[in-house]
Amino acid sequence: MSRFQLPGSPSPLPSVVAKDEPPRSLGLDRNQRDRIVVGVADLAVSKDSNKSIVTYALGSCIGVTVYDPVSKVGGMLHFMLPESTVSPEKAAANPAMFGDLGIPMLFQKVIEAGARRERLVVCAAGGAEVLADDGHFRIGHRNRTILRKIFWKQNLLLAADDTGGQHSRTMSLKLTDGSIQIRAQGKDSSLWPR
Amino acid sequence: MATLNEAIASLDRLPALPSTSVRLVAMLAGGAANVSLRDVEQIVRQDESIAASVLKLANSAAYGVPGRSFSIGDAVRRLGTRTLAKIALETQVSGQLASAGVSYGLRRGALSESALGGAIAAETLARRNHVNPELAFVAALLRDIGKLAIDALAGPDALEAIAAQADARPFLAYEREAFGADHAELGALLCERWGMPFEIVRAVRGHHEPPSDPADPVTDVVHAADSVARWAGLGLGCDGLLYPFHADARERLGTTRDELEALVADVHSALAPAATGLPNLRNAA
Repeated sequence: MSRFQLPGSPSPLPSVVAKDEPPRSLGLDRNQRDRIVVGVADLAVSKDSNKSIVTYALGSCIGVTVYDPVSKVGGMLHFMLPESTVSPEKAAANPAMFGDLGIPMLFQKVIEAGARRERLVVCAAGGAEVLADDGHFRIGHRNRTILRKIFWKQNLLLAADDTGGQHSRTMSLKLTDGSIQIRAQGKDSSLWPR
Repeated sequence: MATLNEAIASLDRLPALPSTSVRLVAMLAGGAANVSLRDVEQIVRQDESIAASVLKLANSAAYGVPGRSFSIGDAVRRLGTRTLAKIALETQVSGQLASAGVSYGLRRGALSESALGGAIAAETLARRNHVNPELAFVAALLRDIGKLAIDALAGPDALEAIAAQADARPFLAYEREAFGADHAELGALLCERWGMPFEIVRAVRGHHEPPSDPADPVTDVVHAADSVARWAGLGLGCDGLLYPFHADARERLGTTRDELEALVADVHSALAPAATGLPNLRNAA
């Protein structure tokens, strides 16, 4: 199963007591505190269950979230392009730019932070396409393909995904419970749990 | 549902671009030979925000010598005329665009970032296609200036409501239905009013629908650069990716997928704070 460069057995995390938050509307409150913002070509991992991880404006880019419901360790990647071969120099400086390097790195980082691979809930959103592109560039599609290819090779399953179309998405992962919200076309929806 | 006349009338209510910007555009669009260092230095000295950007860049790692700092005069000579003119214009346009795009759901600074990202892409593509790189830079920088007019026309949440219903048609069509004109046309009209050169007006007007007969290489370059910026995640509002990349423009440019993907990566890196030293970039959301 574990073909990633897995670190040694993770030490158990100190149990973090989740704050009893009042129920919040599904709307992503921009003023919400305890929010980690993941930029484009960026990655964040946290074991602070009071926090949310958010990324804005996923167009052709893809946001990948991983979450371990037991340790409450989670992470998010916002990658821009499928393959690092187009720009090895940029890839060396910032692997999170590319799906082929960013996805394995995300798994490695959450596992280092104490998540267990077999418990990870993995979701994805984005991969939209420029309109009427005559099939030449299809960066959104190629981003979706690299994601599937890596997951298939690693024998991982996507718990849920919201990809394709032409619209921009905002994705947010709540580390208290692993719930994932998507905001797109002015509407909020829950990606996980379904 | 607004008419074209109402759309045009809205342009009167928009703040004009500073006259120094118009002069800078004319200098850059006319070719580097027309730009005099003294003229640009004068403009830089007149505008505090430009002077600050210039000093910051001249003293940044990319240009500076560690442990030394430069006066405005040093900085001007150090950066050179063209770089200086571009920084000055970029600072002014980004000031204009910083709070624009609200009707598209864009956060503050997002449209300035996208303007600069597109301009960087256009400059590179122009060099590869033997097009005047300064002209392409300026045209791409100004390409979405018409979104200022859409902001003035659209009520709160109007565009979001349109986007929520949108099927896979170009977003320009929805803008034309709702406001009588789209942001490309309104941007071209604005540039015209500001006395911009014809080449800029033409490229702003055609940046989503580049003409084929006759084709204009600057417009083709700005068209491609707009998609590159979008792929780099810049300027994505509720209009999302509802803009076509025209195959005929791509064929005229002869650009490959790998080239454009590498350019997406370059644009992203160029906008990273350490690389530019420019203000108004990559503001936190």
